[in-house]
Amino acid sequence: MSRAKLFCVFMLMVVLLAACGNNNQETSTDEGSSVDESQAGAGVTELSMWIHQSGEEETEFYKKRIEEFNEAHDGEIKINVEVVMDDGGSSYNDSLNAALVAGNLPDVLALDGPFVASYADAEIIAPIDEYISDEDKEDFVDSILQQGTYNEQLYSLGAMESSVVLYYNKEIFEEEGIEAPTTIEDAWTWDEFMAVAKQLTTDDRYGLNLFMDYGVGEWYTYMGAPFIWSNGGELISEDGTTVDGYLNGPESVKAFEYVKSLFEEGVVSLTPSETQFESGNAAMALGGPWIAVSAENAGLDYGMMPYPYSEVPKSPSGSMAYAISTQAEHPEAAYKVMQWMTNEESVIGLSEVTGMPPARKSAFESMEEYNELPKKIMRDQVVQTAHARPTTPAYPVLTDAFAQAFHAMALGEDAQSTLDQQVTRVERELRRFNQ
Amino acid sequence: METNKKINLKPIRAQKRFNMKTQKTQEFINGYLFLLPALLLLGVFLLYPMGMAFYYSFTDFYILRPDQKQFIGLENFTYIFQDAEFKQAFKNTAYFALLVVPIQMAVALGLALLINQKLKCKVFFRTAYFSPVVMSLVVVSILWTFLYNPNEGLINEMLGIFGISPQPFLTSPNQAMNSIIVMSVWQGAGFQMLIFLAGLQNIPKHLYEAASIDGANPLQQFWNVTLPGLRNVSIFIFVTITIAAVKLLVQPMIMTQGGPLGSTKTLVYHIYEVGFNYRDVGYASAMAVVFTILVLIITIIQRKFTGEERG
Repeated sequence: MSRAKLFCVFMLMVVLLAACGNNNQETSTDEGSSVDESQAGAGVTELSMWIHQSGEEETEFYKKRIEEFNEAHDGEIKINVEVVMDDGGSSYNDSLNAALVAGNLPDVLALDGPFVASYADAEIIAPIDEYISDEDKEDFVDSILQQGTYNEQLYSLGAMESSVVLYYNKEIFEEEGIEAPTTIEDAWTWDEFMAVAKQLTTDDRYGLNLFMDYGVGEWYTYMGAPFIWSNGGELISEDGTTVDGYLNGPESVKAFEYVKSLFEEGVVSLTPSETQFESGNAAMALGGPWIAVSAENAGLDYGMMPYPYSEVPKSPSGSMAYAISTQAEHPEAAYKVMQWMTNEESVIGLSEVTGMPPARKSAFESMEEYNELPKKIMRDQVVQTAHARPTTPAYPVLTDAFAQAFHAMALGEDAQSTLDQQVTRVERELRRFNQ
Repeated sequence: METNKKINLKPIRAQKRFNMKTQKTQEFINGYLFLLPALLLLGVFLLYPMGMAFYYSFTDFYILRPDQKQFIGLENFTYIFQDAEFKQAFKNTAYFALLVVPIQMAVALGLALLINQKLKCKVFFRTAYFSPVVMSLVVVSILWTFLYNPNEGLINEMLGIFGISPQPFLTSPNQAMNSIIVMSVWQGAGFQMLIFLAGLQNIPKHLYEAASIDGANPLQQFWNVTLPGLRNVSIFIFVTITIAAVKLLVQPMIMTQGGPLGSTKTLVYHIYEVGFNYRDVGYASAMAVVFTILVLIITIIQRKFTGEERG
């Protein structure tokens, strides 16, 4: 048996396999459309939908709402939902990318807010301006619309918002005689914040927890970007073409230096334990809405304060959102699903299940808890100071650059040179989209 | 039946010459039919993707725009040489491999020698040393992240007893890779220990007897009987550890996310990030091709030095 012959057999196999692959794909799409046709005969539009699996209760809630949708639109629209694993890392996006390359995208999909721009830029998701009414649009908080808008067109709507507030341990504050601000107007400035954090730091307690244990990733950008915004800086130019002079601009450098000083002064730990704040080993924490849940479970007497600022109060925002695939055959029906999943009932229900702030102003009105402390702080931030992360298709690289720089500050690196270095990376990525 | 056979025998004999060729073809077909399942799997999950990666490495394939990829020649490959992260990842990977290979081999051999003694709880020790291998690398990585924690980690608590201040095992750029090396050796050595153990038990007893009659002490026996006897096994272990070491991914991904300051970013991790997180499949493929060539070169060099015929 000569090697050449062997090789031929191999190649033949590969070709056959490739052919098989294609056949499979064709048959599967054929099946799909035949089902569609038979259903269409009965007047039912079938839609496929992907939701992300995160908390169990959250997923159950989505399923329940989808069932209710199917009942309400019986004989009209039917959603076939698929729950896709979301590990908080990249697994959900990996699944999306795989479906995209294979051409199997669902009609309606859930995706993380900062990724809307990438998908819109690649024309994977379709704008919804023609479907949404002005009145309905008005009701969403600004940051939800900001996060869903790319090139002045609206692509996505979210059912929940998020925010990062400054949690504090009431017991420790009473001992130290510190008064916590209760409105955005009274929020601490950086200097006040630093002074308090120092005062609260003792030999066996940190003044502040920044949840650095979440690891170098989206959290650092999500939680840390307001330091730059509130100092008058930006991560990227307004037209989205460059980060040079923005991410490494003087305002950003100063903000990063402030972050660095928090670590240098020893008020915050680079390696906090998972429950550092809940167990009283940190007096304050810049944490997401889920910290309220875990603090409550731990029986901690906690309060919330607005995010500290330099010049203008700014706070983090953004969460999972829904969008419609450009491959959807019935975009109008798909929008109905999107509308249903983000209507007032869904928004309130989801907020109750997850503890995340709702995405609609009307929901804030009707939910008692957001009209009194401590959750009033979260509401004020979502409505007044929330700032969406940059909507650029280069976001995956930009957020990594930011997170790396933020981490470098914690390790005491030089702010300017670190940021310059990261800017080079992002600029290369931006060239792909600027052409 | 008997008669039938006899009757049929003649035509077969007559056709024998003629059938030689068809019979050979038949054998050939049968042989490859048996191979088919394995070849199918290899083809689908190894050869086909490898071919695709090679093709993509010459394109600007961006995952969100699969239909817009263009042929860009060697652009991806030339960028590799300007990519500071690639350079750092290369250095980190080399550092890891250069340290892990000898240490892990030594530890594995040491464990094998210990267990090869006539001990009472032999099975217990063998199981104990082997158990980390069975555990998922992800689980082990998470466990060691806890162990390494400066505030509450077990290792630092123990160091504290001796008055040593908490070490930033995973958060200092100077220590992170070393911490991962220690953990990797602990996790992996059990497997090579078993292979060494099999090798040890294959060394004929009479060689030791002859050596002791000649007056060789245990150390001399080890140098002149045990080590040469383990030659083939050692080569196998050497090659497999090296290849596994340059493919380092899970530990830094889970324990440090490639940090601090990129000090634990490895080649495979960098390729993964560029391809999946930054969606730049073209460039990631180019790096994967270069990586494959590097591994190939290492393997060829190893074979040259260790003697191909028995490795």
